[in-house]
Amino acid sequence: MIVYVLRRLASAIPTLFIIVTLAFFMIRLAPGGPFSLERPLDPLIMQNLERAYNFDKPLWQQYLIYIGNLLQGDLGPSFTRRDFSVGDLFRTGLPVSIALGSLAMSIALVVGVLLGALAALRQNSWVDYTVVGTATLGITIPTFVIAPLLSLSFGVMMGWLPAGGWGTWQHMVLPVATLALPQIAIVARLTRGATIEALRSNHVRTARAYGLPARVVVGVHALRGAILPVVSYLGPTAAALLTGSVVVETIFGIPGIGRYFVQGALGRDYTLVMGTVVVIACFVIVFNLIVDILYAWLDPRVRYD
Amino acid sequence: MSETTLSTALPPAGRSLGQDAWVRLKRNKAAVASAIVLMLLAFAGIVGPYLAPHPYDRIYPQYVRTPASLEAYPRKDAIAPAFMSALERARVQIGEIAVSGTTVRAPISSDAPLDPRIVRYVDRSDLFSNARLEGLDGKALTAGATSGTIVADVHRLRFLFGTDANGRDLLSRILIGIRISLAIGVLASAMSLLLGVAYGAIAGYLGGRIDNVMMRVVDILYSLPFIFFVILLVVFFGRNFVLIFIAIGCTEWLDMARIVRGQTLTLKRQEYVQAAEALGVPDADIVRRHIIPNALGPVVVFVTLLVPKAILLESLLSFLGLGVQEPLTSLGLLIAEGASNMRGAAWLLIYPAVTLTTMLFALNFLGDGLRDALDPKDR
Amino acid sequence: MEKQSLLKVRNLRVEFSTNDGVVEAVKGIDLDLRSNETVAIVGESGSGKSQAMMAIMGLLAANGRASGSASYRGQELIGLGESGLNRIRGSKITMIFQEPMTSLDPLYRIGRQLVEPMVHHRGLAARAARARAIELLELVGIPDPGRRIDSYPHELSGGQRQRVMIAMALANEPDVLIADEPTTALDVTIQAQILTLLADLQSKLGMAIVFITHDLGIVRRFADRVYVMRAGEVVEQDHTGSLFANPSHPYTRMLLAAQPTGRKTPPPPDSPPLLEGRDVNVTFRIGGGWFSRSVDELRAVANASVSLRRGQTIGIVGESGSGKSTLGRALLRLVPSRGTIRFEERDISDADKNHMRPLRKRLQLVFQDPFGSLSPRMTVGQIVTEGLRVHMPKMPAHERDLRASEVLREVGLDPAVANRYPHEFSGGQRQRIAIARAMILKPGVVVLDEPTSALDRSVQKQIVDLLRDLQSAHGLSYLFISHDLAVVRAMADYIIVMRAGRLVEEGPTDAIFDSPREDYTKSLMAAALDGTPFRNTPARA
Repeated sequence: MIVYVLRRLASAIPTLFIIVTLAFFMIRLAPGGPFSLERPLDPLIMQNLERAYNFDKPLWQQYLIYIGNLLQGDLGPSFTRRDFSVGDLFRTGLPVSIALGSLAMSIALVVGVLLGALAALRQNSWVDYTVVGTATLGITIPTFVIAPLLSLSFGVMMGWLPAGGWGTWQHMVLPVATLALPQIAIVARLTRGATIEALRSNHVRTARAYGLPARVVVGVHALRGAILPVVSYLGPTAAALLTGSVVVETIFGIPGIGRYFVQGALGRDYTLVMGTVVVIACFVIVFNLIVDILYAWLDPRVRYD
Repeated sequence: MSETTLSTALPPAGRSLGQDAWVRLKRNKAAVASAIVLMLLAFAGIVGPYLAPHPYDRIYPQYVRTPASLEAYPRKDAIAPAFMSALERARVQIGEIAVSGTTVRAPISSDAPLDPRIVRYVDRSDLFSNARLEGLDGKALTAGATSGTIVADVHRLRFLFGTDANGRDLLSRILIGIRISLAIGVLASAMSLLLGVAYGAIAGYLGGRIDNVMMRVVDILYSLPFIFFVILLVVFFGRNFVLIFIAIGCTEWLDMARIVRGQTLTLKRQEYVQAAEALGVPDADIVRRHIIPNALGPVVVFVTLLVPKAILLESLLSFLGLGVQEPLTSLGLLIAEGASNMRGAAWLLIYPAVTLTTMLFALNFLGDGLRDALDPKDR
Repeated sequence: MEKQSLLKVRNLRVEFSTNDGVVEAVKGIDLDLRSNETVAIVGESGSGKSQAMMAIMGLLAANGRASGSASYRGQELIGLGESGLNRIRGSKITMIFQEPMTSLDPLYRIGRQLVEPMVHHRGLAARAARARAIELLELVGIPDPGRRIDSYPHELSGGQRQRVMIAMALANEPDVLIADEPTTALDVTIQAQILTLLADLQSKLGMAIVFITHDLGIVRRFADRVYVMRAGEVVEQDHTGSLFANPSHPYTRMLLAAQPTGRKTPPPPDSPPLLEGRDVNVTFRIGGGWFSRSVDELRAVANASVSLRRGQTIGIVGESGSGKSTLGRALLRLVPSRGTIRFEERDISDADKNHMRPLRKRLQLVFQDPFGSLSPRMTVGQIVTEGLRVHMPKMPAHERDLRASEVLREVGLDPAVANRYPHEFSGGQRQRIAIARAMILKPGVVVLDEPTSALDRSVQKQIVDLLRDLQSAHGLSYLFISHDLAVVRAMADYIIVMRAGRLVEEGPTDAIFDSPREDYTKSLMAAALDGTPFRNTPARA
């Protein structure tokens, strides 16, 4: 088990390396630079800046320097937010995004699985149709529609909750709802489909044929199998949710890290973009690993090798 | 025994799986309704902008953020004040303003002889046109007269969905937005279809090491954030329509490649493919006659579900300000504008949001319906 | 001898509402089961035999509805609520199913699954239940039960899983055991072991058994009384002896006559060898993922030599995994192999796809699964003429159609079916289409890979007859691959027995059947063809 985890982490290193390399050269090949977008600077200052940030060196040297720093855990200074290093930005932003994302994730998991299982058990009843209809709606409506609508109705019109900002728990309600709603919908649909399939399976028939009460048949024999597709869905999704959502952070004015990527790319903030790529890739790798371990724990047919 | 005679009792022409699926699809009310909605939307997107009363990029400075209404603008009670303010700079005394139908008239007088050029003040306003001076008796104004009547035609404009923060008709903009969104959705899906089918089929058919390497590449691309590509592409080449659908197509083909590869691998193991190999059918014909037609079902379903995804991505890009450029617009851009104007002008958010949601809803339902029709055991 | 009826079924009906309307699966059957007897319900697929039992157990699919009456010791079961049923299911009446591979929950250890019904029905403490579970596993012949109890289902073989199911069925000492085709998915030797075990346990524990099967051979050796079902109705019932001695219903007579009969006469000794394989080896690589460099090799066929003469039928016999199908495909050069393969005096060991193509016309293959081997989106006409398009591309369309009509008629189908699609046909009809596809090219050698295994007995016989007629009409040579010895005996004049990739024994059919030399062959013969009843067999396998 530990060997397996270590081997998986080791195999993640080349992947991470390829991603970093790709990202580095792609962003560097883009026209413009961090200092060319604003009003033109004095040539001397420009030169100094370029020397300070090693831009006067050939690209491959810059790449090696970046990799070297990265190996020491240094993500470099931010170009657009000059007073901060990229590491500082993540240290303040990441907890915010993780808080929102993990809350949304937990809610989506609990509510989605419950609704999905309920719909499956009452297949073709009004409960089922309501869940399926609402879930389709939830999957369909994009977050950038839900977010302003929630902000408009609960924040602006009714005034129950702050329409944006960050600080108290009230500030978290609408963003978490925005993030959770589509995930609830997807999890509910996945769970429903898998539960229906599990209920039709031969081993559930066996459990029923042996007179086990419904709670055991469903809770023990149907749901455990039905949760498997949800688990494999959750890996990449959790990574995406915990690393922040640009839409939600923009609309509700939240100081997370979701905006950094877009802002960084537009402002040619190379280090910020690279930092975001590294952080997101790490999250993806770690969560895929967690999911695989969870999966193997839930399904004994899967072996670590 | 009896089974050999069975066939004669059946009608001579068989019903293919495709025809079966078609029958099942037609029975699915939600899917049929979605198809109709989509056809209406497509019609609106294609023909709508030509029929709309306003060009989508025409700015009416007087009508900034006009609420949606069935009534024509200017409102009847708003015409007189507007006429008054238009004439203000003409420095004449204005009598009672009378509005009748599409003309407005007011008696005016001045200490000096009336200058016929004052009609320009009226014409300058978007509300009025064809302003002219008449004598009080209704005939042409005699030269040097100090009093007369100024007459003008009133432009009455309807903004069914209201106007945006720049004074452009929202309905026309939504119509053009539908066109752009649908076009990008379809083109991007076609793009990823092409890439994904080619890549997936090659990986699946060749198998072995090549397959391994090709799929590893897909895995790596998968772990890169999607917006990364798009943003970089946009940054490289600037924002334009073609680029956006290429960018979306380039990111969405990964799933398609996986699906097609999986299908190809499954089909390769099917006995009818082995049977064809045993008959000596050449590879190209096996792919053409046996693999492609049978892989088509899931691919078609996936494409219908890909279109809404592409539309969504385009909208997201536009929302972030990376999509199509003003004055051209898309539903996502309209929603972004609506979101920033939602205090006080909620219609700017609600109408585009409803349109986009309807479109996505219909596409998803149609996709689900197709999947059920093509794969009946899934029901 | 009026014993009290344990299970009394009267006018039981089962309906399913489907997209195409209501389908009646069981149309009012009567059935009685007395204590300590074995009753067999026999019928072909779709006769409603399984659904009738599912209805009694309250296990119908959601779209199914049962009506009529089924009472267990006076307690009505039809329409009984879930909690009422749960007092009887798994405790008084238990069931084992056809699919040993999927009937156990793959996510839990078998111990837990064995213990569950005991805890629920008898309130046994976990420790006591586990002890009993180990006892039960020992009883059903699982080796090392103290360790095996902590296995997951996927760690057991099909036969072992079915034994676990039987242990589970016996756990609460039921009055009635319903066995729904419990051996159909198993190899013959395992089949015999399971049936012997069941018969053994019945005489030890004294429960009544309802045995659902399509296999009359098993019925004769296993059951006291027989119900014959067809299309949802019981057409005949009688004691086993008298039913087999003088069946009264024509359908029963037809079923009994459906055992393939007759023998193939060997070709003249001077007939030339057509297809020869010498020291054929096939290995598959298994495993070998991205990071694991270790590659296991599975030797599917080891040093096999076969020589098929003109007009000859060689039967290749073996259980699943014996390599018999792989050998057949290797001889057709459809899987890569080592060794020498000669066809019509030509060495084709190294012929590539393009060199093989002209020969494919003379080397044909018919598959086991008539549902999988026909391309679902092509019409029957397109399927049958595909070979002509490849090998005679210049043939005009009307002549192709003419040939198709001829060959369809020859395999017993109406030529009008050419415009229809495979999914519109039954299994037997599809197998005829697959045969027509092979025959249209007028081949010399046809490899028949279990062509009758997926079919009902009565249809099997028709296909066997058809294949024999075609052989004598066209002078074909067959390589007949099958696990079904009864069919092989009727088809082949020479037999090769395979096990784990190796040829165990070979010889003329009669010699193999009458005096097998190897132990494995003997056990195979005993399991498949022995007429002695299982219930009196003292030895446990």
